Amino acid sequence: MSDWSKVTRPIPVPDEYTKPFWDAAKRHSLEMQRCQTCGHFQHPPYATCTQCIGVDLKFEPVRGQGKIYAYTVMYHTGDKRFASAVPYASIIVELDDAPGAFMAGNLLGSEYTEAKVGRRVEVIFEKLNEDIVLPQFKLAGE
Amino acid sequence: MWDNRCKIAVSGVGFSKVTRSADIPLAAHALEAVRGAVADSGLEMDDIDGLATYPELPATGHAEVDGISVVSVNCMMAMLKLPSLTWHIQVGSSNIGGAFQQAANALLAGVCKYAVVWRAMHNPRGTYQNLPGNMAAGSGQFTGPYGFGGPGQGHAVAYARWLETNGQTRDKMATLVLNQRKNTQHNPHAYFHGTELTREDYFASRMVAYPFCLFDCDIPVQGAVALVLTLADRARDLKPTPAYLAGYGQRLHFETAGRIGSLSNYMEGGSSSAKLTWERSGFTPKDVDVAQIYDGFSASVIYGLESYGFCKEGEALDFIQDGRIALDGELPLNTFGGSLGTGRIHGLWHIIEGALQASGRAGSRQVKDANVSFVGASAPIVTGTTFIFVRDPY
Repeated sequence: MSDWSKVTRPIPVPDEYTKPFWDAAKRHSLEMQRCQTCGHFQHPPYATCTQCIGVDLKFEPVRGQGKIYAYTVMYHTGDKRFASAVPYASIIVELDDAPGAFMAGNLLGSEYTEAKVGRRVEVIFEKLNEDIVLPQFKLAGE
Repeated sequence: MWDNRCKIAVSGVGFSKVTRSADIPLAAHALEAVRGAVADSGLEMDDIDGLATYPELPATGHAEVDGISVVSVNCMMAMLKLPSLTWHIQVGSSNIGGAFQQAANALLAGVCKYAVVWRAMHNPRGTYQNLPGNMAAGSGQFTGPYGFGGPGQGHAVAYARWLETNGQTRDKMATLVLNQRKNTQHNPHAYFHGTELTREDYFASRMVAYPFCLFDCDIPVQGAVALVLTLADRARDLKPTPAYLAGYGQRLHFETAGRIGSLSNYMEGGSSSAKLTWERSGFTPKDVDVAQIYDGFSASVIYGLESYGFCKEGEALDFIQDGRIALDGELPLNTFGGSLGTGRIHGLWHIIEGALQASGRAGSRQVKDANVSFVGASAPIVTGTTFIFVRDPY
């Protein structure tokens, strides 16, 4: 299994558009930007609704279950901060509640070989420091 | 069909030395390529009155220093001091293919007579994707913390999805990579000219970002290529046989920043650009005699073949088998070796090869009786542009 203990993850810097996402993560909740006009969920946050160009966007809770849309297993150690974890799986997750909204994550708690397109995953939360909690994923039902 | 088809032609082409490291300033590479293209046309430098480029450095975390890591129009003009200059541009929303298209438009508008288009690419010292600092801001805040670094991983996730949703394996990609390395041996300007690659080498090579192994990724190099673009009537009076521009397109599909991994966006980007190119030229994929498709990562060729309409979605790795893409095959592909053979110079070399094949000037790699020559000059999703060159104007 990938050893994440020595990895120094870059710390996300919330900005005025993304702060609600990170505030929710700190509460171990997943919230995504939702268009109040057409109901579309999107991620990453954007200036307008990517479906109807609506500008009335609010963050609303979504359930943390979804599927691996795509993945890669990283072997290259060019980024020294992650070198101790290789090989590791970086995944793209499509949540059941937010089709078309892609969240990146790592597959934690399983061998990297378990990353496959279509496999069910659920969100877990990884505390990076007192201010930032990072949504992550593990295989569902484990 | 496009009213302006075959009214523009590529004339001379030029190449600098391609080296692994930056032994001399990039401006010297760009000068060598530009001078080569002008001389190949039989023109004097003073004849050049249009300049176009795309000067981006795709590496991250490295300073952009004009003349060292990029070669802008400003840098080129400060060196050449062209007395006849009447027009210039650096493009942003499309890659080097967009610079070529703007030069074609400028020629058609009559605001210049002989335009030079160049692409110069720097290989910085140290790690290519040198993501700075311990913080991830902007669109990187949703990817950086998970170890999504350079574009390699962004392309790798799409490739993994393509493989698994289509029930394919990466073994079949060896055919593409080996065919291109074989073609590279006919291209003396290429970085890997003189270096063979075997099937065993491909399968033994280290994984970089699964499904990409080392030989699925173009190698960062230092070098430049250039071409002279002019009106067809003028091109006929110059030294080389003209390669006529029958049509072009650019991608019309756009993705919001920070959203990675979506395979459908590659397809929509590529098909939107190709559709314009087929409509403007009047040709279809079946008419194509030779194709160059951008291959910064091997999988880009898959998306190209499928989204441009050469084969159905999900079938590209089968399509390239059994000699179909060899120099004497049904669709000779990346005949100059592609970026996997030349090193990372982006799409202008694909455009140059497309023109050389159409004008019958590709030397020992010339495809027999080639007339319709197709080019997909960059990864469809990012900045895709497509072109058709022909030998016989119509």
